[in-house]
Amino acid sequence: MWWVSKGATLRYPQPGGPDERRHRFEQMYAANCGPILGYVLRRTENPDDAADVIAETFLTAWRRLEAVPAGDEARLWLYGVARRVLANYRRGERRRAVLADRLRAELAAGYRPAQCTGELAEFAAAFRSLAEADREVLALVGWEGLDRGQAAAVLGCSRNAVRIRLHRARRRLADARGRQQANPPGEPVSVTKGEPA
Amino acid sequence: MSQIRSIAPVSDADAARMVSDAALADLAEQITMTPAGPTTANRPPRVRRRRWWLAGIPAAAAASALIAAVVIAHTGGSAAPGGTGQLRHDAHALAFTRAGGYIDVIVRDPLADQASYNAEFKAHGLDITLSLVPVSPSLVGTVVAISTSGPDGDSITTITAKGRCWTGGGGSECPVGLKVPVGYRGQAALVFGRAARPGEQYESTTSASAPGEVMHGLNYVGKRVSTVRAMLSERHVTVPTYRYDGRVLTPGQVPGTWYVYDAIPWAPQQVLLFVGPTPSHAYGAGRPAPSPSHSPSG
Repeated sequence: MWWVSKGATLRYPQPGGPDERRHRFEQMYAANCGPILGYVLRRTENPDDAADVIAETFLTAWRRLEAVPAGDEARLWLYGVARRVLANYRRGERRRAVLADRLRAELAAGYRPAQCTGELAEFAAAFRSLAEADREVLALVGWEGLDRGQAAAVLGCSRNAVRIRLHRARRRLADARGRQQANPPGEPVSVTKGEPA
Repeated sequence: MSQIRSIAPVSDADAARMVSDAALADLAEQITMTPAGPTTANRPPRVRRRRWWLAGIPAAAAASALIAAVVIAHTGGSAAPGGTGQLRHDAHALAFTRAGGYIDVIVRDPLADQASYNAEFKAHGLDITLSLVPVSPSLVGTVVAISTSGPDGDSITTITAKGRCWTGGGGSECPVGLKVPVGYRGQAALVFGRAARPGEQYESTTSASAPGEVMHGLNYVGKRVSTVRAMLSERHVTVPTYRYDGRVLTPGQVPGTWYVYDAIPWAPQQVLLFVGPTPSHAYGAGRPAPSPSHSPSG
C-alpha cells in the first residue's frame, strides 16, 4: 500500500493491551462514523477539509469520551461537535491532522457529490443562499432526518426554538425562491441573512 | 422537506462508499493512539507507559503541523542522520533558549548528524534523542513526530512558526521546535524533517502546490494528464508513479487523455499524481462495496 498514513516514521506500536476506554470509543466510532461522514460531506465541498473535520470530531470525542452520551444521543453529540469544527473551518481555521491522511487520500479520490439539474438546481441555489443557521436547521431535519427534539440537542437550544427557527428558515427559503423566479435567468440570488431564533 | 432531502449532495450511503473500512479503522487507531486529553479520570496512572503522539494533535496550534502529510510508505524508515552524508560536529545544531520555566529547542542545522543533537540534549541534562527523516522542501526543519515517556511525558509542547510551512488548507502554523520544561525528567524521541537527497523518497510530504514545493503556482487540478506532464516537464519534474482509485499505476499505464485530481511531492523533482478517466473525482470502479460496519447501526 502506498499510503501508509504515518509511514515508517509515525507508525509506532500501539501501546497497552485491552483497554476499556478504547473499547468504548471504538464501539461509539463504529456506530457513528457513517452518519458523521455523511453529515460532514454534505456540508463541505472540500474532501480534504471533510477528512480533517471528521478526524477532529472523533478526536474530540476520544479526548472527552466521558462527556459523550450513550446510545443514539452520541450521534447528536457528535453532530454538534462536527458543526462547531465546521464553523471553525469556515472561519479559516484549518488544521491538517496527520491522522486523517488515509481518509483524506480516499476522499480526495472518491468524493463525488450528487449534481442537481433543472428546477432542483435552482432550489439548491436558493437553499445555499440562506444564512448558515437557516441552512443548518433545515438540513438537520431534511438531511439527517432529525426530529425537533434531536435537532435541539445538536443546536444546543430548546425544542421550541427549533420550531421557530424552522418556520423562519422555511419562510426565507420560500422568499429566496420567489426572488429567483422574479429575477431574469443568470442574475444572482441575493443572500438573505437569517437571524437565529 | 422532501425537496431539501433531494438536494443533499451526499447521502450516508454515498459517503460510506467513498471510503474503505480500512481507512476508517486506520483513523480510529490513530485517534486512540493519541493522549486521551485532560479528562483521564478513568485511566489508571501508567507513568512508565510509552506512547507516541503526533506533534500536530495535542496542541491545537501545532495541529496544522503535519500537514496533509500523506506520508509515503517507506520501508526502512531510516531516520538517517545527515542530509548529505557529511557529518558535522560543530556545536549549535540545536539552539537552546531559556524562556521562563522552559527551554526552547529549535533545530538550527537540519543536516547535522544525530550524535550532535543527542550530545547537545545531554549537555543540557535532557534525555532526548532526535532523528531526521527526509521530507518535502516546505516541511524541512519541522517536527514530524514526538514520542515521550516518563513522569513528565506530556509536558513537552511544540513551538510553531507562522508561514514556515503550508498546510494544504490555508493554515500555516508549523512546528519548528520544542518547548521543554526546565528540569524535565522524562525521555523523549523527536523526529524532525530534513531535506531529501536526490532520488530519496520523502517520508512526509504535503500538497505539491504548496509554496516551496515543485508544483507551486501550477493550475493542474482537472487538467489532462498530457497537459500536466508538459507543465511538469518545463520544471524538470517527473512522475514515477500514479494512483487511480487506490491502485498503483506506472507512467505507461496512464493515458495522456486522463485527468489529474491531485498531486503530492514524492521525491526531489518527482511528484505522484492522482488520476482518473473522468474530469472530476469518480469512485466506484473496482472499489469494494461498503461493509456493514459503515452503516449507522454498525
